[in-house]
Amino acid sequence: MIRRLWKVAFAEWKLIYTDPAAVLLLVVAGLIYAFYYPVPYVYQTVSKVPVAVVDLDNTAMSRELVRMASAAQQIEVKAIYPEMKQAEAAMARDEIYGFMVIPENMEKDIRGKHQATVNIFTHGAYVMFHGAIGTAFSTCALTVGATNKVKQIAMSKQVPSAKAIAMRDPFPISIQTLYNSTGGYANYVVPSVLVVILQQSLIIGICVLGGSRAHRRFRKKLRDSPVENESLPYRYFGRSLAYFVHYCSFILFYHCIVYNIFDFPRRGELLPMVVFSVVFLASVINFGMVISQVFLRRESSMQLFLYMSIPVLFLANFSWPAYLMPSWMTAISYILPSTFAVPAWLSIEQMGADIYDVAPKLYQLAIQAVVYLVLGLVLTRARDKAKIDIGDM
Amino acid sequence: MVLNGLLKTIRKIYFGHNIVLWMILVVLPIGVSLFTMGMFSSQIVQHVPIGIVIQDNSQLADKLEAKLRSSPVLDIKMVCPDMGECEHAVVRGDIQGFIVLPNDLERRTLRLEAPVIPVYSSGQNYLTNMFTTKEIRAVLSAAGSELFTAQMVDPVKVQIHSVGNLKSNYQGFLVLGLVTAIFHLAAMIVGVFVLSFPLRDHRVKEMLGYAGGSRFTLWFASVFPMNIILWLETVGCYAYCHRLLAPLTLDEFVITAAAQLFMILACSGAGVVFVGLTGVMRMATGAAGVIGSPAFAFAGQTFPVMAMPFAVRCFAFVLPLTHVLMIQSTMLLGDVNMEPAWESMKILIGMALFWNILGAFLMSMRWKQFARRETEYENKMRTDSEASA
Repeated sequence: MIRRLWKVAFAEWKLIYTDPAAVLLLVVAGLIYAFYYPVPYVYQTVSKVPVAVVDLDNTAMSRELVRMASAAQQIEVKAIYPEMKQAEAAMARDEIYGFMVIPENMEKDIRGKHQATVNIFTHGAYVMFHGAIGTAFSTCALTVGATNKVKQIAMSKQVPSAKAIAMRDPFPISIQTLYNSTGGYANYVVPSVLVVILQQSLIIGICVLGGSRAHRRFRKKLRDSPVENESLPYRYFGRSLAYFVHYCSFILFYHCIVYNIFDFPRRGELLPMVVFSVVFLASVINFGMVISQVFLRRESSMQLFLYMSIPVLFLANFSWPAYLMPSWMTAISYILPSTFAVPAWLSIEQMGADIYDVAPKLYQLAIQAVVYLVLGLVLTRARDKAKIDIGDM
Repeated sequence: MVLNGLLKTIRKIYFGHNIVLWMILVVLPIGVSLFTMGMFSSQIVQHVPIGIVIQDNSQLADKLEAKLRSSPVLDIKMVCPDMGECEHAVVRGDIQGFIVLPNDLERRTLRLEAPVIPVYSSGQNYLTNMFTTKEIRAVLSAAGSELFTAQMVDPVKVQIHSVGNLKSNYQGFLVLGLVTAIFHLAAMIVGVFVLSFPLRDHRVKEMLGYAGGSRFTLWFASVFPMNIILWLETVGCYAYCHRLLAPLTLDEFVITAAAQLFMILACSGAGVVFVGLTGVMRMATGAAGVIGSPAFAFAGQTFPVMAMPFAVRCFAFVLPLTHVLMIQSTMLLGDVNMEPAWESMKILIGMALFWNILGAFLMSMRWKQFARRETEYENKMRTDSEASA
């Protein structure tokens, strides 16, 4: 029995490596994307974002604020303008991505115990710039405010400066990042995308090879081969075995090589990794087997799944929380293995989760695998009985 | 005569019961764009699940908990008896972070010892964590300033404005770019399909026949309708998505629409070049997918181009999407934006011309080659049938 399964699996591998389209999807895509996608983010964080300051006050305090802003790591003060229009024009020319406006009479107002408002403008189209510039400028402005408030408290309440500091901020907070301590963008986005790449390339690859089975030339060439005439369970599970072994090597490659090269956190323990690989690949392979029965043309699956890559990525619940999406979209996302696989993979590999922590997500993947297995067997049987011949390419 | 040939060829290409073409030309790009817009319909991050460990049984701890609970951004989903439980919940993905209100918080606060409140954030989800920590800091700072210095105003108040996206909604930030990226990919895929299906189905001679033997007519009939349809879809979806932001002026709308037109032309032209180079639909679709699918990651809207390595910046420069996004983002800035937009526009026009001229040249060669092959095949079949007869 095992021998018959391996025979089908070897025949499938041979088919993969002799078909340029399958090689492109099942071998080259997985390798190229693993390096192609992380490369833009190798520097991980945004630093030295060009910004400007509009100093309408021009006093010792405003200059102190400018000096503090210049020392911030996230931003680089490129220019100090006397009026806002110049800063706006510079932002339109993409010379700067934000600016801080120090209001007129800021020092006078603060010394006179009035509140001064510092406005920070960031470019509305760039989310990362918004965060970096906003944080850097507001930290500087609030520090200036805090220093003055401490002085005011010390003088008005007649307390030493240490107590004045404690009265201004009675319980300071300390933010600790548990799993992406550098705040790296690549650490956040790439591990999730790698799972989606595995899923998409495997599904399209299965569909390309499944589609070719309806192809006239394929049938002419291989209809008499013993493997193609093997009984349904052997054919189905043998093909699945080929994809499973092939993609297990990809998971190992990502874990051992890609994660090392790009220095991503690698906390995955052996048991959860193995269980994850089994249920994830079982779910994706069976999903691919189901979908491959729908496409008659080899390239149709490529066209559909290329369009779907963006929604699939966002439905995976890593960049935009699922509870903020409409419920019907969340329901659709349950069809895709990546919806459960991405959070499970992040928990295992990035956060070092044990098998009990990820068990709920692995159960969901396992349920998907079983449902798609039944559907796949039924549809493959139906396709075997149908007489489909598609033109020759 | 020429017009007749043109119309007939368009009819045969676009209305010849080609369901796949209409799927990838109309249904999928519009459907996926609307779906993507719908995904971000809540616009801002809110109700982020967090945990809290209350070690101090005091009035101050209760007050802080109540303040955190009243924040619309946060949702205290778990009150953990110890830190370990909250940490496991973070690993499971149930919460995004947790706050520890330490032992003797109230007593030490009243003694002005400034006890530190540790906030543990997962860090794995960049956006959610950014909003969460910002909100926790704001809530706790506000509560702290009310304690001893409630009557004193803060000397400096900071207001952060996102220019062109006043509400800082995520849809504004991301979806405008995503919708454009979807059509960037769509133009490549459709360009590949329209120009390669006559090659795949051995219908080059037939198509050339409809076009009166003119390869220029066949090329024009192939590319003109798809470019116009995709452009109208892009403009429509973009305008629909833009409704949540400040409205564009007529000038801004015209420039954005023109940039999108040149992007569509450049991308479909690139798709045609892939067909011209490979001559096979699946290989050309694969090439379009490899370049078009991750284009958004390189185009600088999520992670800035200036922070990428030099080689990647060069690649980003040759993507039409980078320049369109630059124009779209400068249009958010109001009336100071026309001059810089022209620089990107010139690059887009250059790209559109380059890819289309190269594509037309390569396809002309391919059609000639495939027409000759089809003639040879027909002759062979005729000879064979005569011989067998």
